[in-house]
Amino acid sequence: MSAAVAVEAAGSTDVGRVRAGNEDAMLVDVELGLYAVFDGMGGAKAGEIAAQTARDAFHFYARRHRDELPEIDLLENALLHACAAVYDAARADRNLHGMGTTAVVCFIPDLQRPRKAVIAHVGDSRAYLLRNGRLSQLTRDHTIVAELVARGMISAEDAERHPYKNVLSRNLGARFETAVDVVTADLGPGDRILLCSDGLYGYASIEAIQYLLGSGDAPELVAGDLIELALRGGGGDNVTVVVIDAGQDAETGTQVVRTSGAATLWERRAEFIAVARQQGLGRSPLCRGLPTDEAIELVAGSFCEALYHDLEKSTGVNVWTFAQNLGAGWLDHGGDWQVLRGVLDILQAASVAVVDSIRADDRRLGALLDIAVARALIVVELAVGNLLADRLRSVEAELVDLQAVAAAAEPVTEAGRSLLLEDPTVPFLRATRGVSMAGASVEIAAAVDESVTIARAAAPANALLVQRTIAALEAIAVHGEDPAAVVAEARELYGVRTLDDVGLQPLFAAVERVRLLVTTAVHQTRHSDAIKAGALRLISTCHHRLVATITGIILDAVAPASQRLKEAQRATSALRQELERLERQRTESDRFAAEPATELTPALSPDEDDARPHGEGDAG
Amino acid sequence: MSELVDRVAVLRDEVLDAAGGGSSDSCAELFEAVLSALTLGSESVAGIEATVQDAVSRRLAWGASEVQLLADNAWVFERLIAAVERAFRDHDEEMVVIEAATHVSVMVSRAIAMSGVARAAHDRAARVREEMAQRQLRDAVDKQAQQLAGRSSSRGA
Repeated sequence: MSAAVAVEAAGSTDVGRVRAGNEDAMLVDVELGLYAVFDGMGGAKAGEIAAQTARDAFHFYARRHRDELPEIDLLENALLHACAAVYDAARADRNLHGMGTTAVVCFIPDLQRPRKAVIAHVGDSRAYLLRNGRLSQLTRDHTIVAELVARGMISAEDAERHPYKNVLSRNLGARFETAVDVVTADLGPGDRILLCSDGLYGYASIEAIQYLLGSGDAPELVAGDLIELALRGGGGDNVTVVVIDAGQDAETGTQVVRTSGAATLWERRAEFIAVARQQGLGRSPLCRGLPTDEAIELVAGSFCEALYHDLEKSTGVNVWTFAQNLGAGWLDHGGDWQVLRGVLDILQAASVAVVDSIRADDRRLGALLDIAVARALIVVELAVGNLLADRLRSVEAELVDLQAVAAAAEPVTEAGRSLLLEDPTVPFLRATRGVSMAGASVEIAAAVDESVTIARAAAPANALLVQRTIAALEAIAVHGEDPAAVVAEARELYGVRTLDDVGLQPLFAAVERVRLLVTTAVHQTRHSDAIKAGALRLISTCHHRLVATITGIILDAVAPASQRLKEAQRATSALRQELERLERQRTESDRFAAEPATELTPALSPDEDDARPHGEGDAG
Repeated sequence: MSELVDRVAVLRDEVLDAAGGGSSDSCAELFEAVLSALTLGSESVAGIEATVQDAVSRRLAWGASEVQLLADNAWVFERLIAAVERAFRDHDEEMVVIEAATHVSVMVSRAIAMSGVARAAHDRAARVREEMAQRQLRDAVDKQAQQLAGRSSSRGA
């Protein structure tokens, strides 16, 4: 059967650079024409199990019913079967509770003459179709943010930057069944389908994905390149791709570009350098320090060489390396971004001019090179973008450090405490809502005291944060009728911490440990159940308020970030409007200068001109 | 345990103040998280954490603020503790519910805090991007202004 199969496919998966385990799973069954990507979620190993369970259940069902059911029903039922399997597995094991997975699956019914692909999905794993070099998304993400965009509540641009853009509105496994979306795509020669998890498109631009898919390389090579692309983009998530070729094109333009295209471009190297010189490359501050000819040869000549090698091998690695070296070398020496941008623009203009000149001689080759060079130029932009992103990250880290230093230097004063209470983040910090042993019975107060003593003894002496948390809890239990006391204890416990995982996780871990210690201690006291319940109620309420107050302090600390962002956005908007106004003014000025009538009729003032009847001037 | 879960579930309207119109989606999700914690028991911390994280993320994604969620968390906790004290006669059972409610409340607070921190990091990075854009815009504005000034002076000449 496989000998007659016209469809080629390959998949690849990688854990990424941040996650400890791979919670993605994939399926490439070339004999049945079934392909799938699953992206699992859930604590511990649950995500991994969810994705694998769904994949196995889907494959089992689809293999069994492939020849019995219509294609759409087959995929829909197979995914519902997978959903039920994940749900049942989660119910059977408490540690797997809450697990789920996304799914995007593709079925090509006729493998000898692939004319149609049926695609089904749940969640935010995606399917793309590459046709004639253009990539289009076949699936719509099942995320809450996508839903907000569909309802017109936020713009697509805001959605891209939304901090919760990955929260799903549907998945396999959260419930016994779910809604499955199914689409059908007609296929033609040269078409290529990509299935991927969000680890790809979250860390690589669509342009770069399109570029690699359109390279003409075999699916296994492209799958590897796509994984590499996501890792270069940060690799912040597990990444999985499946590339499906729906059949060979009559003749690949890529082969033409690799042979005669690359050679023709290389033959015009001198022309390329001449155009770059004409565009003012020699005058760029980036070329200072070397004789002009040598500098132009170094920059333009090297770029042309990198372009040639990339066209020849159908890759982007040479121009990527060129752009990174050029950008990093310039910016590391304090060079201005505008200058680098100017040089890149000159190189782009030279590339376009040379391709135009080739097109004049050979129209087809020119058209093919046009696309190939445009792709290479996109790679240059990506490389420089990557460089800037690295710099942004380092600026971000510096800002966080500066903020931590500023927070450390800020003394906690009484005035500060009262300010915090004037507009409390947490409602129970209002003066009317105190809690303490003052209103509790003597027996409950004694039970609380005893519980705290037992908990303190049970906690390791060297676990300082745990001991301090117990002390804070005790203080709130004694003085909790004064909300300021809760704030003071929370503030003291919070101390000086960096606002990140490293700073906050130990604090929350200590708080959780104290909860367990104190709860156990209450059960160990020798009081009646009613007194124990009263003591637990009081301690739990104090505990809840302590943790919520710490959270309120954290939210207060991070609040200025949003405010400052809004101010910066307003300033950018004002600048943009100013620029638009000036551009309009300049356009008016250009038009005024170009109108001969103003020179020919100097006697007419603008007012008189306006006073003429409409059409009179035109008729004249 | 399922009987206890049912008895707590009966308190839903009282805790969420459904009759008074005070219920909200986020309060309901937090109440569900407590029920889920009671169902799962204390052995499955990962399962409860996944449920809580999901509830918090969903509410934030729908546009609720962290402060609002924190207030909802306090609302559900305090009303649930009061409702259980009033309705339960078996103190052992009452203590099981108090433990589950406190556990969920701490997890929710932590999830809110971490979300706030993540959002702030996101906002700071966005601000740096805005500032870079402003720099470019300022350059462009200066350039345009200079060109306009040059033209008007050449016309004047």
